[in-house]
Amino acid sequence: MGKIQVNNLKKSYGSNEVLKDINMQVGEGEVVCVIGPSGSGKSTLLRCVNKLEEITAGQIIVDDYDISDNKTDINKVRENIGMVFQHFNLFPHMSVLKNITFAPTELKKQSPAEARNLGLKLLERVGLADKADAFPASLSGGQKQRVAIARALAMNPDVMLFDEPTSALDPEMVGEVLGVMKDLASEGMTMMIVTHEMGFAREVADRVVFMDGGYIVEEGEPEQVFGSPKHERTISFLEKVL
Amino acid sequence: MKKSRFMWLSMAFLLFFAVCAGNLSQTATAQAGEGKTYQIATDITFAPFEFQDIDGNYVGIDMELMQAIAKNQNFKYEIKPLGFNAAVQALQSNQVDGMIAGMSITAERKKAFDFSSPYFDSGIVMAVKKDNTDTKSYEDLRGKNVAVKIGTQGYEFADSIKDKYGFTITPFEDSAQVYDDVKTGNSAACFDDYPVLAYGIQQNNGLRLATTKKEVGSSYGFAVNKGKNPELLEKFNAGLANLKANGEYDSIVSKYLGNPDGSAPAATQTLGRWELIQKSLPSLFEGLLKTMMYTIISLFFAFIMGLIFGFMKVSHSKIARGIATVYVDIFRGIPLLVLGLFIYLGIPGMFGFTMPLPVAATLALSLNAGAYVTEIIRGGIQSIDRGQMEAARSLGLPYRTAMVKVIIPQAIKVMIPSFINQLVITLKDTSIMSAIGLVELTQSGKIVIARTLASDIWLVVALMYLIVITILTKVADAVERRTRRG
Repeated sequence: MGKIQVNNLKKSYGSNEVLKDINMQVGEGEVVCVIGPSGSGKSTLLRCVNKLEEITAGQIIVDDYDISDNKTDINKVRENIGMVFQHFNLFPHMSVLKNITFAPTELKKQSPAEARNLGLKLLERVGLADKADAFPASLSGGQKQRVAIARALAMNPDVMLFDEPTSALDPEMVGEVLGVMKDLASEGMTMMIVTHEMGFAREVADRVVFMDGGYIVEEGEPEQVFGSPKHERTISFLEKVL
Repeated sequence: MKKSRFMWLSMAFLLFFAVCAGNLSQTATAQAGEGKTYQIATDITFAPFEFQDIDGNYVGIDMELMQAIAKNQNFKYEIKPLGFNAAVQALQSNQVDGMIAGMSITAERKKAFDFSSPYFDSGIVMAVKKDNTDTKSYEDLRGKNVAVKIGTQGYEFADSIKDKYGFTITPFEDSAQVYDDVKTGNSAACFDDYPVLAYGIQQNNGLRLATTKKEVGSSYGFAVNKGKNPELLEKFNAGLANLKANGEYDSIVSKYLGNPDGSAPAATQTLGRWELIQKSLPSLFEGLLKTMMYTIISLFFAFIMGLIFGFMKVSHSKIARGIATVYVDIFRGIPLLVLGLFIYLGIPGMFGFTMPLPVAATLALSLNAGAYVTEIIRGGIQSIDRGQMEAARSLGLPYRTAMVKVIIPQAIKVMIPSFINQLVITLKDTSIMSAIGLVELTQSGKIVIARTLASDIWLVVALMYLIVITILTKVADAVERRTRRG
């Protein structure tokens, strides 16, 4: 069984059904990139995985926890699912280091000293060791997103979700963020990435999922999806973006 | 779960108020019986019957009579200078035990109150500005305006002849305002009780009696609510009879109105303007302190209510949001003055209990400000990007922790300017409570002006508000700058 298992997932906002019967899985250590035109439901799917969106119907199992079951302690499950947002969502009233150590200390996973050490280590890993005491407002977009990744990693999650992590960045900063993500992938992290970076998807993903109109239209290895897409809609989408 | 906690909190809060009110009314009943201290309502100022001397003590014919009768009959009492209208309503709703305020005994009032034997005979006379020689009779009032005090016989009389003589009426809350209106020329004349006008003229209020004829002769009586406190009424009557017999009554009356032969009363102190202001400052400062106290206490409760209802407004529960919305709509929708009157007089009247004025006023101010604080808190929280909550929750933090440690610290910075604004508004709004008789800065000003007839005290009162509010705003600005930097 996969790390993330999505069965017959449906999601509606009122009468607007944005996800229509989604079935997919992400295996342990697997890197899955979800691509597709805007409005296809890929971000909604990602946000359902850690229940930032309520599920209308179907089932999502992460780490053997059924998160679609209301009895499941969602906070516990979320500790194991790191999430990186398009707009970083760093806490502006906390220093960079505090942003990272906040959750581990608050949830008593680590003592303040331990958290501090871990925080500094994580900052080093994303190449921002010198920014520990800076405030988010003084960072560039790329730096903010790297801090956000470090923050998500601080809870030592098994799974990382990325929701268009480079879409809000100036082009020259995309590389530094993708670099950190690539490192993470090579270390064996289970990752589900909603992205418009086709080159990155092709290079790093183990599997690519193409969504359109609330359905998964096509999925497979990058070479297959990008090299010889089968579905007409996949072909027309890739023609536009590549 | 969170929502129900909010509801519990709000219920606990309401309970707290109910218990407070209950306790206070209990202490009031506990005092009944032997050695009871009677609460006697009176006007703020109705010289020469009740007014404050320059040192802030209540003096006048009513006050001295009350004192002499209480001594003669051996009972304890406490004077509540509420203003005439507020006193009438307080007596009707049993907030006080008796009322002595130069009140004429009328058939209509007899329906609501039981009166003592008359203790003073009066009548309505007309006064005009001292240098006004044109107005000699009611005929000269045609097309002019006349100032009267609300709820007095003077008002009734003026009202009864206004069509015949073709003048209009401007009603005022107290005599000082009536005289000022005549003195400034807004009104051509005023109608008031003879002793009041006579005393005022002796005190150089700038007017003169235009007629000597006393209209609608009437008698003043001490009143209790219908069927209530009969023993108090008996004691008053017995005491009054004794004072009349031993000559004490005559000496009290002549002290204020001069001797029956018409000679002037003993010379009263006349002070220069600056001296007068200096003399008034202590009681004005006392009023200012009370204003600040009521502001702080009211904002404290308003803040608690704002927190409860503000969080209910941003909660996921439709019921909680609904309750909070109803609260805000009600208390933002009722003018503060009406709310104060309703809480102080309306509710106790309906349910037959008494509520001390400071409690009622604080409650009205708190509920009113609470509605605004609720909106400030809701607005502050909703101004924070949704992504902040999502980021915190995605790390596994519970809603509460995310709210307290992530959302609120950011929201507070947004809220601070609005809080400062509310502080200033509530501080100014305490003055509205002077209308139900709450003694704070404005009421203190009214009292000082009533006894000195020096309207320039309003300038001093205005300056005091201005200075305090300016200081508070500057301090708050500094705090705001610091939090913004932090």
